[in-house]
Amino acid sequence: MNETVKTVAVKRRSSLGVHWSELTSKYSIYLVLIGMIVVSSFLSPVFLSETNFSNISRQISITTILAFGQTLLIICGMIDLAQGSVMALAGLLAVIFFKMTGQLVPSLFVGVLVGVLCNLASGVIVTNFNTPPFIATLAMQTAARGAALLLTSGQNVYQLKDFVLWGQGILLGIPTPVIFLIGVAIFSWYLLNHWRLGRYIYAIGGNQEAARASGIKIKRTKLMAFGINGVFVGLAGVLYMSRVNAGLPNAGVGFEFDAMTAAIIGGTSFSGGVGTAIGTLAGAFIMGFLSNIMNLLGVQSYLQQVIKGAIIVMAVAYDIASKSKRTKTILGNIQEKTSG
Amino acid sequence: MKLSVKNCLVAAAAIITATVGAADPSDAQGASKYRIAYIARAQGDSFAAWLANEMVAQAKQYPDISATVFDGQSRNDLIEAHIENAVQNKFDLVIIQPYDPPIQLDPVKQAMAKGMKVIATNPKFTDESIPSVDANPYQQGAENAKLAVNQIPKKAQVVVLLGPAGNPHSMGRREAWQKEFFDKRPDVKILDEQIANWNKDEGMRLTEDWIQSHPKIDAVISMNDNMAAGAIEAIKGSGAKSYPLVYGVDGTAEACLLIKDGKMTSTTLQNAHELAVKSMKMAHDMLTGNATNLHDTIQAELITKDNVDKYIELHKQLGDIK
Repeated sequence: MNETVKTVAVKRRSSLGVHWSELTSKYSIYLVLIGMIVVSSFLSPVFLSETNFSNISRQISITTILAFGQTLLIICGMIDLAQGSVMALAGLLAVIFFKMTGQLVPSLFVGVLVGVLCNLASGVIVTNFNTPPFIATLAMQTAARGAALLLTSGQNVYQLKDFVLWGQGILLGIPTPVIFLIGVAIFSWYLLNHWRLGRYIYAIGGNQEAARASGIKIKRTKLMAFGINGVFVGLAGVLYMSRVNAGLPNAGVGFEFDAMTAAIIGGTSFSGGVGTAIGTLAGAFIMGFLSNIMNLLGVQSYLQQVIKGAIIVMAVAYDIASKSKRTKTILGNIQEKTSG
Repeated sequence: MKLSVKNCLVAAAAIITATVGAADPSDAQGASKYRIAYIARAQGDSFAAWLANEMVAQAKQYPDISATVFDGQSRNDLIEAHIENAVQNKFDLVIIQPYDPPIQLDPVKQAMAKGMKVIATNPKFTDESIPSVDANPYQQGAENAKLAVNQIPKKAQVVVLLGPAGNPHSMGRREAWQKEFFDKRPDVKILDEQIANWNKDEGMRLTEDWIQSHPKIDAVISMNDNMAAGAIEAIKGSGAKSYPLVYGVDGTAEACLLIKDGKMTSTTLQNAHELAVKSMKMAHDMLTGNATNLHDTIQAELITKDNVDKYIELHKQLGDIK
């Protein structure tokens, strides 16, 4: 009898342990995020303030919008190295359009259109010429940057006047870039979770040949993924230029890598077929919190880069390790059931 | 042969490349006698782009000179390749805007050993055997710092924005601020000092965070105007009723407009036009055997609200302000 009670207690503890292990592995990146918030709130008394959170959201809005585009592409087995350059070109053209016409809303559409056209060009090269996305978008990166510099002979454009409303405005107490970020986040989540296109994107990234065999139109899906990325990149360009109140042809250098980092930290896998919009948002906030807390604490510039690199590696390693543990547990359960 | 889209594109690319490659830069100006290679550190940098544009414009003042611009893209390896190519392609003279002077020194010396004439500009090399036309970064910082000695209030709290790590202009300006201001005003406290890489958005982001952790900032000391302008955007975004004292360097169009608006305190003009005038004159003198002075400098002109209109006019003439 005592042995039966002990066995039940052991089985219950083991079951609880398995549940806890599943929870932590599934939500590991969010646990990291919560952990960072808790630790940062002890390190700096102003970290948890409303204005600080508003600042962080505004600061990360542009690279996070890019990160959602990068997430879609990486899940689909592709990548975009041209985000920063196309963002600069799109934003600059939007600025120039506004200065010529004074039309605020159309200037946003100009930026988005430029982003879409550049990305569709990359998409056509990838889908019709079987060029690796790395190469196609690397070429676009160079071309778009050259075009941006050519437009203004390398000079910045000033006196943007009302154009700054896109990046510096406030609506119902929320900064406009954050409103756009929320919109892009909801759209991306809905696309990946509830639209057929989202399922196709996952399928192609998971196994392109199986997706093709099941009737998914590969080229069309990839082009659409690039097109959506183009919308996000164009929007990011308009928000960036308006936030800094200048048309900067050299803007956005390296932004695509920040976007990729946010996506990867959030659980998107370079092997394709894996990733979530919420994970990317969490990854972006992790990076934003890191920069913010180190600036609030006055950590020296060089040390900041070392610490950032170390924490990013630890966050991703913890996430991968907990996912591996979960996979092993699942495989172990399957083996147990099939042999049992 | 069946023509495919792919084949047509490849053929078109080949034709375009051959046409562009066959163009001789000197053809654009008739039979020019001397060919100058101008190696810009990075045309994506707005000051470097301004300087490159001025170099081309100044070359046109001499009927016996043509200038070709090569973009170093902030890459030491690429700048070295441009130096080597200039020697290979038998340019008569190279004007180089070093990105990292200690690294560019060797390739330049090797080019000079092969008979290439070289002028360094913005910045110069420490090796005095290499002719130069330069602004003095110490003077650029010092003009602002001397003004600040009497402007910044007692026991003020300030923040400092720096250029890229190891950049000689950033270091020179910072040294000037240290000697001409901080050493003379030990009552002033530096709340924080960070690298913003000459970038407006980085200056903006740092200042947004500083405003959170330091409610009272009396002055922003920036090693260039872009970062200073970013700091001002952050202060504007915070809803502050008044602006702290803000100091920069470069004398950009944006800085002049901010000084006119009362949001920025002062800057010093790093006049790319004057750098180009003097560089091209020195180049012409060297090529025609008339060079007497192989080191020249431009003065840093302090810009405040008292004289900013003159510089706004200059920028209007340059097309930076419309």
